[in-house]
Amino acid sequence: MWAYIIRRLLWMIPTFIGILVINFAVVRLRGPTLAEELHRGGSGEEAGLRQAESHLTNVRNHLARFHLAGNHLPAVINLRGFTSKDGVLRHLQRLERGPQALLNDGQRSREELDLWLKGPLYVEPLIAILADDSLERFHGPASQALRLCAFDPPLPTDLQLLTEAERQAKRQRNQAFDRLAIAYRNDPEFGFITEDPEREAKRAALLELYEANRDLYQRSTGRIVRAMVLETGFVDLMTKLFTGRLWSHSKGRSVFALIGERWQVTFTLNILAIIIAWTVSIPLGIRSARRAGSLGDAITTNSLFFLWSVPSFFLGSLFLHHLCTDSSTGIRLFPNIGLSSPDAHWLSPPRLLLDYLWHGFLPLLLLTYGSFTALSRYMRAQLLDQMHADYIRTARAKGCDEDRIIYRHALRNSMVTMVTLGQGLLSALYGGFLFTEIIFSINGLGTLLYEAALDGDAPLLMGSTLISVGLFLISILVADIMYAVVDPRIRSRYV
Amino acid sequence: MRYLTIALTCAALILLLLVYLSLHKGPERDREIRDALDQVQQSLEQLDRRLAQPPPVASSHGSDEILAAVDSLRRDLTDNIVAAQAQIQAQQQEQPTPADPKPDSTVNDPLRDGLPRLGSNFLLPHAEPQFDAARIGGTFRTFGNTPPGLNPIIENAADVSNLHGMTNDSLCVRDGVEPMRWRGRLATSCIIEDDYTRYTFTIRPGVYWQVPRLALQDERFAWLRERVPLTAHDFVFTIAMIQHEDVQCPALKSYYEDLEEAVALDDHTLQLTWSRTLYTSLGASMGLEPLPRHVYTRDQDGQPLAEDDIPLQFNDHWFDQRRQIIGVGQYQLWDFVPDQHIILRRHADCWTNSGHFAMIDMNCRVREPEAQLTAFKNSQVHTHSLRPIQYKANILDGHERRFNREQPREGALAWERVDTLAYSYIGWNMRRPLFTDRRVRQALAHAFPKQRIIDEVFFGLGQPAVTNVHPSSDYFHDGLEDLAYDRNRAMALLHAAGWEDSTGDGILDRDIGGERISFSFVIKGYANSPEWDRTLAIYQEELRALGIVMRAETLEWRDLVKVYEDRDFDAVTGGWRMSYEVDFEQLWHSRFATEPRSSNHVGFADTEADELAERLRETFAMEERIAIARRFQEIIHREQPYLFFRTAESIFTWQNAGEHRLHGVVEALDALHPFYNRNSSWWYLER
Repeated sequence: MWAYIIRRLLWMIPTFIGILVINFAVVRLRGPTLAEELHRGGSGEEAGLRQAESHLTNVRNHLARFHLAGNHLPAVINLRGFTSKDGVLRHLQRLERGPQALLNDGQRSREELDLWLKGPLYVEPLIAILADDSLERFHGPASQALRLCAFDPPLPTDLQLLTEAERQAKRQRNQAFDRLAIAYRNDPEFGFITEDPEREAKRAALLELYEANRDLYQRSTGRIVRAMVLETGFVDLMTKLFTGRLWSHSKGRSVFALIGERWQVTFTLNILAIIIAWTVSIPLGIRSARRAGSLGDAITTNSLFFLWSVPSFFLGSLFLHHLCTDSSTGIRLFPNIGLSSPDAHWLSPPRLLLDYLWHGFLPLLLLTYGSFTALSRYMRAQLLDQMHADYIRTARAKGCDEDRIIYRHALRNSMVTMVTLGQGLLSALYGGFLFTEIIFSINGLGTLLYEAALDGDAPLLMGSTLISVGLFLISILVADIMYAVVDPRIRSRYV
Repeated sequence: MRYLTIALTCAALILLLLVYLSLHKGPERDREIRDALDQVQQSLEQLDRRLAQPPPVASSHGSDEILAAVDSLRRDLTDNIVAAQAQIQAQQQEQPTPADPKPDSTVNDPLRDGLPRLGSNFLLPHAEPQFDAARIGGTFRTFGNTPPGLNPIIENAADVSNLHGMTNDSLCVRDGVEPMRWRGRLATSCIIEDDYTRYTFTIRPGVYWQVPRLALQDERFAWLRERVPLTAHDFVFTIAMIQHEDVQCPALKSYYEDLEEAVALDDHTLQLTWSRTLYTSLGASMGLEPLPRHVYTRDQDGQPLAEDDIPLQFNDHWFDQRRQIIGVGQYQLWDFVPDQHIILRRHADCWTNSGHFAMIDMNCRVREPEAQLTAFKNSQVHTHSLRPIQYKANILDGHERRFNREQPREGALAWERVDTLAYSYIGWNMRRPLFTDRRVRQALAHAFPKQRIIDEVFFGLGQPAVTNVHPSSDYFHDGLEDLAYDRNRAMALLHAAGWEDSTGDGILDRDIGGERISFSFVIKGYANSPEWDRTLAIYQEELRALGIVMRAETLEWRDLVKVYEDRDFDAVTGGWRMSYEVDFEQLWHSRFATEPRSSNHVGFADTEADELAERLRETFAMEERIAIARRFQEIIHREQPYLFFRTAESIFTWQNAGEHRLHGVVEALDALHPFYNRNSSWWYLER
């Protein structure tokens, strides 16, 4: 048994990482691009309105913000070290306007931003282009790309991690690359035209600068291989995760602090909802099974299915409008905001309990009414199954009374299925409930994750995935162990 | 026996729950007690401080009077601290205090008309005509949003600037009645020289930074309890932070990139020198808000930071991490719990009186429009804005009878149609052959039943947009006539442009570059707007009747932004927020038609328009600016790069009866310019 548990626990590690990698890749597919970052803050999503922006001159500032979020790195595997000088040259050629231009303005803009994000591994091929006299036309855009690829953003953590001299050197390097960018124009007729009178001097200075900092930018096999796995968004995120520096960018706070804050509400509501759902459904199922085929059973079944088919957001809106609103025609019977009154902590415990009940009644009703149907129908079917079994007939023949037959014999044997149903409970405790939260303005996990998904907030989504995946894996394990506890036949197979 | 067990278990569970609940509410209650104590303590400190000061000009303000006021203050301390303090302060401010040697004595100076001019102080003197000390009190409740951070320079979000608008002040503001005139606030004078490149401001003396609440709660921050005056150095520091390469504030940086130098000539004289004459420098200079230098240049223990480290620290400063802000404005940030509430408290030690509420409670929990409307109906907030569909259901259809449909200002819930500073449009991609011909764009505008859509879809909310300037603005060209809905005129224009139905399939076609092309295109639009959906459906029918096939495709906001950036559209819906000032360069200059990532996504290019846009940026004289703007609108109106659809209006509602009644709203709506008429400093609560 113990060997079985340990084996299962060990298997969880690769499963866990696999799920996280896939999740991360999917989240990043919808992640923000540098173009979006450039327009951040200038957009008003509401009503589709925008604010005209001043020139987007300071790309480096945006780039620095992008670095903070780890969005400048490729998602799962980094192959940037393998791009040769020719590869970079082809990239530059695609940026060129002119009669033979390959791309339209928009695509070109995106390609350009993409090149600027490539980081220090692209410095070497860009320098090779600058060193090549025959590629003079591309020196302008190459130096511009170099300026941004070599840019090492100043971070607040530098104050702890770097010495004064190192910080100074970093700043000077950034400034030098900045200063030495060769001015150019991308002409619709002639393509790239270098316009800088000092271009030769700047070029020489750039080559010199590279020589002086060769150890920072030079590619070696070791560096390339290391970068492949380690310089990726996933590793960046995991590092932040395990060092406790996972920040939600849309909320400006630590991910786990946010989740911890929201989970309390979700946890409390979920646990109450589960208790209510089970304590109502199981007796209902038993009752139905005992009176299977009767008019009462038919009424129960039909009304449960009717309830099940009413969407909760619809019922929620009805509640909000008719039970929670002061209007010219009526007064509100239930509160419309949150799970307690603003001054609830001044109330005495019994009144506080009443206050919670008053606030929680409608949200809990919305959360539970749908699950009565499924659970009670399962219970009913299971029990009916058992009632037709031979041992029940024997018990009846022996003269057992009906209550004893059901509660002592049939119910126990129906429980194996209920364990299967119960295995989702642990992870369900973590799940949010979006509509109920929105309608009753409850700040739970549902709205948090919904907003995170809308904002493309990868750290927050990943932090939450981590917890829900963890809970899910554990609950499966617990359920498997429960089977063994309930049924000796299963136990004998766990070796 | 079994039932007994069940009953006992239930009882035990309830008992446990009660114990849990009483434990749970402990910290909350402690917090509230601490808050109340803080409030009392701070009030006492301020009282002591005021008593320690020399009494203001003794001749007219006897010490008896002060003592009486203090006495009344003591009486009111537990009951109504804030209101009483403000009354005293109001009394004191009526007298010129020794700390303020240069009051705004030149009230009747004809040169001080507020219109920017060279060589002399043109600012209208600071005034708060709406303020009445007797109206102070109460908690104003409204909705808010949780901003990701509180630093106004790092975070470029509307929520942050709104918050700072209440807690901080700027050098000057636009006058609420005539926005073209400037009124001094933190600046008592502004002198512009050297062809509008040098601005010299005199900073108001006797203005003090708020003491952050943190300093009262935690002994570690006791060093912040000192009362620090506002000086010109605070402004210089602000500019230095915005301009420093290590500070990550790309959005603001571009507004100040032409600012050559900011110097404090002395503690109360600030000089800004711009490298060239540029109209945008006026707003950027006059609207500057200071940052507390004494906080951002120090570490948590009050020790000065190394000069070189300041910009880097500024990106992630401890003061911001602790969710604090301080300003020199009327309200002080009192409590900020993300996604719960932001509470502002009236700051009695403020240099001016510009707000009547003792507290402002911004609810950040309720975000869904229906839930917000419910909260408003339940009197949990004082003001609200209705969406068109809510306006229809609650007011036009009379589902909520507390709104008076005929007499909007009379109902228990009053309402008013107000301007929203925005217009919406359909932009034509002028790079594409379908839309290069001006006549086609005009025809498409004639085919759009603007008024019908506004009436049917928006229930009459909004006005047909004619140009890119708001009708309430001084720059608006009222002589231009809207391209009215006229199917025949549209057809004639299309024929003139060479579009005929030569194949007989009911769809217009034309030879373009040797190829027969039928008139069909896609409008990409914003997905989360039912109003746009219906608008495009109506337009689709209208175009079909002309022989044009239009398909509407709706996209999420993030995808739509990509469409703008990539210019990947035939036609696209959009909206621009506007400000009082106009600047045409961003949207309409041909330079930006080809520049990647710019706002001229339709590719509009016109030589005369370019020249006008450039001239407008260099012109300061109001009449001349208006003339340029009018000419510009004529060109835009002729060229129709956008189908100008609607300047937005919304329904502003407020509590108008009972204990939650909000006063002063109607007065502000009537007295102020439509862009500034929802100014909360005019409002006060039923006492």
